[in-house]
Amino acid sequence: MTGTAVPTEVERPETSEAPATELPWLVIVWNDPINLMSYVTYVFQKLFGYSRAKAHKLMLDVHYKGRAVVSSGPKERAELDVARLHQHGLWATMEHSG
Amino acid sequence: MSFRRRIRPAKGGGYEVRLATEERELLAALPLQLLSLLDDVGDELPGDLPDALRRLLPPAYTTDPDAERAYVALTRHDLMEHHRESLETMSATAKATRIDHDQLVAWLGALNDLRLVLGSMLGVTEDEAEPPVGDAHQAEWIAYLYLGGLQSELIDILEGTLPDPVPGADDLVPDDHWGEPPGGLRWDGTPQPGDR
Repeated sequence: MTGTAVPTEVERPETSEAPATELPWLVIVWNDPINLMSYVTYVFQKLFGYSRAKAHKLMLDVHYKGRAVVSSGPKERAELDVARLHQHGLWATMEHSG
Repeated sequence: MSFRRRIRPAKGGGYEVRLATEERELLAALPLQLLSLLDDVGDELPGDLPDALRRLLPPAYTTDPDAERAYVALTRHDLMEHHRESLETMSATAKATRIDHDQLVAWLGALNDLRLVLGSMLGVTEDEAEPPVGDAHQAEWIAYLYLGGLQSELIDILEGTLPDPVPGADDLVPDDHWGEPPGGLRWDGTPQPGDR
């Protein structure tokens, strides 16, 4: 983007100090009828560094099963991933695993 | 691809944009309309936003209003700025014959935002992705379908510019056995549109 200091990509904070016993949060992307399948695949690769094959598989899960878990981790990390997905227009929510 | 590309890498860097005047005028005008809608958004919870705008500012937590309030407080400003910057960039460069990589990325975001809002307004569903016969919103449908075609071209270009996958990243995704067979509920509690 031009002209402002607001970052479009956010750095992931170090969250390794989270207790090992804490259940991770799941980041979920839900199906929607508007986002292009190729766009969803592109976003998964861009945001998470997944291979094209993995990103494609997750996109198909979203499309056919209605949702896919696309990442997991401590609450702060999951919230950040949700926010990055929201920036890209995907329907993302988070929930506690277990 | 057999069709004539409207956007392609330019010699010497950036991207060459070959669009008709009418297309450029649309790409300049639509973002300004959406930006004016965004002017009315404050720190409302997603559930209190109009449907079309909630599509750009969706909830992170569906069952915990307090957590959602905290998420909105933490992220709403940056999220709005992200949408605004993309829309402003595309509107400002819609008449350009050459744009740089960051501007192309902004175009992708702006096209997606516009499609999300237009698609919501038109009531696009999995089964109804083309204008119903006699629909009163033909112009909006044409714009929606046009933006999708252009967005597809941008995705083709930008996917080729992604960095290599992160080693091991694929293996960190937990299994999810939800939704087999297809069905269940959407994030907002409404039914899925049905098996496909």
